[in-house]
Parts: sequence; structure tokens; C-alpha cells
Amino acid sequence: MNDARIQASLQAGLKKSTFNLFLATTAWVGSTALMSFGPNTLWNFDTTLTLLAIALNLMAGGLMLYSFFRHLKTMDELQRQTHLEAMALTLGITMVLTVIYGALPQAQVLAEAQPANVLFVIGVSYILSVITLWLRRTSA
Amino acid sequence: MKNRLKVLRADRDWTQADLADRLQVTRQTINAIEKGKYDPSLPLAFKLAALFELPIEEIFSPETD
Repeated sequence: MNDARIQASLQAGLKKSTFNLFLATTAWVGSTALMSFGPNTLWNFDTTLTLLAIALNLMAGGLMLYSFFRHLKTMDELQRQTHLEAMALTLGITMVLTVIYGALPQAQVLAEAQPANVLFVIGVSYILSVITLWLRRTSA
Repeated sequence: MKNRLKVLRADRDWTQADLADRLQVTRQTINAIEKGKYDPSLPLAFKLAALFELPIEEIFSPETD
């Protein structure tokens, strides 16, 4: 295999695993929406269907985790190291901000804390951490 | 950790992309190692040693040396 083909093959592998992760994440988001809104809007709080929706959500979550680990394995070692460090940073940032956010309703600064906002913090922290760490290592 | 990657690569007239291809990593990884911003894993260090036909300690040395 010549040099250009090796780089192309690395890129193709990463593209494929990124797409698989996208599909698995979409399935998880979809099943989360079904689990959250289905009882009220689709099956009038039928317990069996709700339990099925929860089981579906668990399976989709498992698939998303599996796809993420596959994606990590496909990465080049610098990319993998960057993502793992970003995860560590995200854990710390989320922990600190979640504790503050959780205290706000008790301090009567907020009416109530929404768990969905924690997911937002996780997503933004992770993206910013990956970009910052990557630029620190690859910029001139 | 310090390394002689840039010198060894230049001796062979390889670009960063050439070396990256031979090691099956990205060019950014080679660039980060050369600049001392990233220490390679042990398997990658062994691959580098095999490629340059040198012991690892002749390519990498502790920062204190």
C-alpha cells in the first residue's frame, strides 16, 4: 500500500466510525424522546409500553457506548489521547458546575434545576476541551 | 522528553507525512512528537526505533539530560 493510500485508509476508517457513532447517537436521542414523551402523547401511560421504551433506550445507549469505544480505537494515538483528556476535563468541569447549578434552587436564584442543562454543559465542555487540547498540541 | 526525530527524519530526506505513513499515524502526531508537545506510546516508540534501526534511547532522552 503506498503512502497516500495509507493516509486515505486511516481517514476512511475514522470517517466510517464517526458516521456509525452519529447513527448510534441519533438512535439514542430518538429513543430518549420516545421514552420521555411517548407515555403522555402516544400510549396514554401504558406501563408495558413505557417499560419497552425504557428497554429500547437502554439498548440504544449501550449501542452508543459501544460505537464510541470503537471510534476511540479507530483514532490515531494523539487523537485518542486528546479525547481521553477532554473527557477528564469534562468530568471535572461538569462536576463543579453541576454542584453550583444544583445549589441555585435552594438559594432561590432559580425556580428549579433542569437535568437536560447538565447534558448541555457536558456537550459544550467536551467540544471546547477537544478543540483547546488539539490546538495546544498541533499549533506551531 | 527530548527526541531526535526531526534530525533522523531529515537524514533520510523524509517529510513528516512520509514518516506518518510509515508508522500509520497522522502527520499531526509526528509534528507534536517532534515539537515535544506529545510523548508517543511505548508501541509507537518501538515502531520508531525499528524504523530508524536504532535503540529507543538513541531517539528519545529524558528532559533532564
